[in-house]
Amino acid sequence: MRWFRFAIFVSVVAVLMASGLLDIIALPPSSSKPNLLLILLVFFAIHSNTSNAIITSFAIGFAADISIGSIMGSLTISFGLFGTALAYLHRVIAIRKVPYQAFAIFITAFLTGTLAHFLAILRGQSTVSNVYSAILGTALYSAVVGPIFFLLVSWLMRIKTHRFGRH
Amino acid sequence: MLFTWFMLTGLILLFAPQNLTNDLQFAFARIFRWPLTVGKNISLYARTSQPAPNATFDGKSQYENHIANLQEQLRLKQEEIIELRMMRVRFPFLENAGLITAAVIRSSINGTRSELTINRGENDGLAKGQFVLGDNSIIGTVSDISPRTTKVKLFTDPASRIAVRIGNLNIDRLMEGGGKDEAKIRYLPTKHKVRVGDKVLAGKKPGFLDASMIIGVVARCERDDRNPSMWDITVKPVCDIERLSSITVIIMNPQN
Repeated sequence: MRWFRFAIFVSVVAVLMASGLLDIIALPPSSSKPNLLLILLVFFAIHSNTSNAIITSFAIGFAADISIGSIMGSLTISFGLFGTALAYLHRVIAIRKVPYQAFAIFITAFLTGTLAHFLAILRGQSTVSNVYSAILGTALYSAVVGPIFFLLVSWLMRIKTHRFGRH
Repeated sequence: MLFTWFMLTGLILLFAPQNLTNDLQFAFARIFRWPLTVGKNISLYARTSQPAPNATFDGKSQYENHIANLQEQLRLKQEEIIELRMMRVRFPFLENAGLITAAVIRSSINGTRSELTINRGENDGLAKGQFVLGDNSIIGTVSDISPRTTKVKLFTDPASRIAVRIGNLNIDRLMEGGGKDEAKIRYLPTKHKVRVGDKVLAGKKPGFLDASMIIGVVARCERDDRNPSMWDITVKPVCDIERLSSITVIIMNPQN
C-alpha cells in the first residue's frame, strides 16, 4: 500500500467534495451528487488486505467527517464499520464484476448514510423528513459513477484490479 | 484489535464536546481555504454560465500586475464600504451596529444540513448567535466559531430554531429548519389568515437584532395533517443562498 499517495489522494478528494465542485453535476430533485469518498472506501475495502482495508476505511471516514460531515465521528464510525464489514465479505464473496461493485457501492452508501444519520440524531442533531431520499439519491449516483472512478483510482494507486479475470 | 482502537477513536470523536471537534473542521477549512474558494467559484461560475472573459495579460510586468491587484482590492473595499453604508441607510436601526462582511469559503447545503463557512471569526468580533444577512435578508445565525473562521447555521438547517412573525399578524412563532431550502412554521391556529407570498420576519432578539427583518416568504400554507386546527406553513428564503459569495454579520453592540 502506498500510504503517502493514499493520503494525498484522499485529501484531494475531500477538498473536491467540500469545495462544492461536484454541485456542477448534481441531479434534481434533491441535488444528489456522488460521494467520491464513499467510492474510495469501497475501492480500498475490496482491493486491499483486511488490515489495510480497516485503516483506509477509518481514515476515509475521518476525512469525510472533517470535510463534509456535520457531527464529528459519525462518518468515521459508519465508514469504518461498513468498510471493515465489506473487506471481510470480500474474503468470502469476490466483488470483481462491475455490476457487483456498483451494487456494493449502493448498499454501502445507503448503510453508511443511514448509520451516520442515526449517530447524528443520537448526538442531538435534528432530522428532516426527506433524509432517506437524499441518502438514496447519493447511493444511486455513487453506484453509477463508482466503477468509472475505480479505473482512475486503480491507475493512480497502481493497484491491479483484475476486472476481467475469473476468481 | 486495530478495528477496536479505531472504533474507540470514532466514539471519542462522536461524544467529545462539539466545540473541540469543530476545531478539526475549521482547521481543514483554513488549511484548504484557497482550493475550497476556487472550487466554490468554479461551481458558481459553471452554474450561472457566465461568458468566459477575453482579457489577456501577456506582456505585463510584475509591477503592473501588482498594481492591478491593488486596484482590484481597492475597488472591492470601496464596494464593501458603499454596500455597508447603503445597508445602514436601508436599516436605520443598524446605525450603531457593527457590520462585518465576510466571504463564503464553503457552503454545505443538502437535505440533512444547511451551513456556510465564512472567512471571519472570533478575532473579527464575531460571536455565537449573531444574525447573518445575505442580500438584505436574514439567512441564519452564527453557530460555531474559531478565531479565523465561522460556521453560519442557515435558518433552513434542521437544527435551526428562530422566532418569527408572519406578515401583519402580531404573533411570534418558532420557525424550524426543514432541510434543503425551506423552513416550517407550525402551531399557528387556522383562525389566523395566512396567504402564500406573505412576508416572514425574524423577530427581535435583544442584543442580537433590535428590529424585525425579513427572513423569507410563505411558499405553502396547508392544514396540519396531525392537527387540522393548525397551519403547516412552508417558508422559502428570499435570496438564493447557495449562490451567495459574501454575507454580512450583524454585531448589535460592538465593543470597539
